[in-house]
Amino acid sequence: MNLEKLLYDAYGYTEFRPGQKQVIEQVLAGRDVLALLPTGMGKSLCYQLPGKVFPGAIVIVSPLLSLMQDQVAQLKKMGEKSVIAINSFMKPEDREKAWNTLGTYKFIFVAPEMLVQPYVLGKLNALGISLLVADEAHCISQWGFDFRPDYLRIAEVLPKLGNPQTLALTATATDKVTDEIKHYLKLSDPFIYSHPMDRENISYDIRKFDNDHEKLEALMNLVAEYGGPGIIYAGTRRKSQELAERLLALGIRAAFYHGGMEQQDRIFVQQQFANKELEWVCATNAFGMGVHIPDIRHVIHFQLPSSIEGYVQEVGRAGRDSLPSLATLLYAAGDERLVESLIMDDLPERHEIELIYERGEEAKQLIEQGMMRETAYRIISYWRERLPLQGTLNQIERLKIEKQRQAASVRGLAHSSGCIRQYISMSFDQKTPGIPPNCCSFHGIDHSLFKGNRKELKASPHGSWKERLKVLLPI
Amino acid sequence: MRFDEVVLAIMRAVDGQRTVSSPYHLIKGKKSGQTIQDIGYFGLHPYFAVLPKLDKQEYLASIDRLQTQGYLIPDDNSVRLHRSAFDLEIPSTPLNGWKYRGNENRFFARLSLVVQTMSNFMQGQKRFDPVVTDETVQTWAKAYLKRIDFRSPAVQEAFKNQLESSLALAKTTEAHKDILVERLSGYGVGGLTWDQLAMEHKLLPIDVKIAVVEAVHAWLDVLEEMKHPMLAGLLEGIVQTSALTESAKRTQSLAERGFSLKQIAELRQLKTSTIEDHFVEMAMNDPAFSFAPFMEEHLFESIKRISVELKSMRLRDIKERLPEASYFQIRLALAMRGGVT
Repeated sequence: MNLEKLLYDAYGYTEFRPGQKQVIEQVLAGRDVLALLPTGMGKSLCYQLPGKVFPGAIVIVSPLLSLMQDQVAQLKKMGEKSVIAINSFMKPEDREKAWNTLGTYKFIFVAPEMLVQPYVLGKLNALGISLLVADEAHCISQWGFDFRPDYLRIAEVLPKLGNPQTLALTATATDKVTDEIKHYLKLSDPFIYSHPMDRENISYDIRKFDNDHEKLEALMNLVAEYGGPGIIYAGTRRKSQELAERLLALGIRAAFYHGGMEQQDRIFVQQQFANKELEWVCATNAFGMGVHIPDIRHVIHFQLPSSIEGYVQEVGRAGRDSLPSLATLLYAAGDERLVESLIMDDLPERHEIELIYERGEEAKQLIEQGMMRETAYRIISYWRERLPLQGTLNQIERLKIEKQRQAASVRGLAHSSGCIRQYISMSFDQKTPGIPPNCCSFHGIDHSLFKGNRKELKASPHGSWKERLKVLLPI
Repeated sequence: MRFDEVVLAIMRAVDGQRTVSSPYHLIKGKKSGQTIQDIGYFGLHPYFAVLPKLDKQEYLASIDRLQTQGYLIPDDNSVRLHRSAFDLEIPSTPLNGWKYRGNENRFFARLSLVVQTMSNFMQGQKRFDPVVTDETVQTWAKAYLKRIDFRSPAVQEAFKNQLESSLALAKTTEAHKDILVERLSGYGVGGLTWDQLAMEHKLLPIDVKIAVVEAVHAWLDVLEEMKHPMLAGLLEGIVQTSALTESAKRTQSLAERGFSLKQIAELRQLKTSTIEDHFVEMAMNDPAFSFAPFMEEHLFESIKRISVELKSMRLRDIKERLPEASYFQIRLALAMRGGVT
């Protein structure tokens, strides 16, 4: 089969991106595949194209509602009409309709918690699945930075679906996590494609300061000297807001973005950024999904990220166009305290665990009363069905140790006295990459490459509503 | 109208008779019997459900401001306004919340997507990220665009002209119209967030939210006259044909078939008090509503008279003077007095 021709006929592209072809070939050959592809490398094509060949449905299990919606939107944008997403937030009548017309869809996105319902399983079985895709497969790992207990249930339902051919996709995974994915998804003799995670066109810069004040001043100098488009990651919602205000006060076009904003406003900020109406977005880690901008030149971390995986994901949003891009980490003495408290905050505490064991389903009400966190409830109620209390306490204790390891590796990043690129690759058990020019602050960066390319942004239409209407609808 | 003025306008009506959180429920559009009947008693139709997503913290911030400015006197039980609050001149408002019930958001979502699509196609861009992610709205907009043949330049021009001429007619300020149109997106132009608008117009974010609702209501009033055929289609299902809540409608249809209040409660497996709420709602909305099944004429007249004498809508005050009347009877009688404007 001529894959290039298939690609061109289906989507009008003339060539594959690195890794895509190898993965697709193996999928079409009927093998289970585990593909480690960095974000932005076109992971979804790895199941889209087989969808053009396979007779049955492609079922994609996706861990996050927002991710699922974004993928559906992207597929539709590529002209793919036969797409549907089924999740527990749908109105019952819409879901009912979806189930009844399921057979007419090629690509079916399902939330993991839906997959375990017998009704859903029955519907999917009747359908004939050609390929099961576990997207963001690292979520299956209990030790990973975003473990989703519901993901482990995929393993439980695979036999009930007749053990379909499986494609596991992820952007980040250490060897340990890769093993877990293989084990839980029961991948038999899988083809593993691991794309080098290193992004040569990104230069890593770390700058250290004695206190917050100096760090802030440094940021103000950075945005005055270096051009966007760029993202400034702040640790908290409040901080993202505060930084945006400071940039605006300097006359720099910036906006803030965080999960506390209503969805419409978040879409507006994404649009403005994509339109080049904004130079900088000051954001929490909520910013990223749904942002498909190839020419982000600079990602600044104003606070330490909470994991190396998260850091790589956030930095990886820069330079998708392969042109030189800069990743700057600003560190002030004591910054690790915030990270540690954020990381540990996620963990269920002993009293929460005991409450859930005591009350079971009823403990759900405690979430509304603010006495329990939802993530804690989700994780513990999963273990409650499988382990006695002590077992779960041990489990959480191990998780805690793992989290501490994560925090330590972030700390290590800030204090590393060697090559930053090598430090990151080592954290993912990858081969030591070569040292490209402008590698990192340890090997030296020619900053003139990045400085002073501040472009004039086009003026956004101001003035009266009639003038704006003219710009929107130029007739 | 600023948000604080909305709160004050409601408080001036309910002063001394309702709790400080009652305006909050009204603005959010809570469908409880109490809230719904208050709309009729106190003539609060404009403000019902104007901000369905209102955050409690934002409301409390407004209460704080009103107290600091001395308009509102701190009181645990009920709204207590200072004299100065009554001297304040509050601008008249095109708000018509009782009529639109938050449906204006659906209208605006449709419009946003339609304008964005036209804007992109006009400029040769056929692929873009939709500004509205709600699939129901997307499906609706797709069908609408197809129906009006939106790729035709003549249609595009007519659409734009009618957009402009109808909005020009809307009875609201130019500043409000500016804010409204800044929430629209198109090719290369993103809509502005509440915070961006607040900064630009030197208002609070909550004030620009109210400004948009006011502008949309005023605009809908124009569009409803159907003199702008290109846009009339956008109104589909936006305006309530019945002023009753869904549940009250079901009670009404059972009542019309001759079932008594008690029977309806049994049939619908609901509390009697809920069904009573429905009758109060019907009394408020239906000019032909008859109190005859619920009380004698002389009792009805007494309730009305005492309410006027006491200058009070407070149920307890009236009950004290007329112990033989039930709370339900008092509420019914007061609701009929209020009527719907």
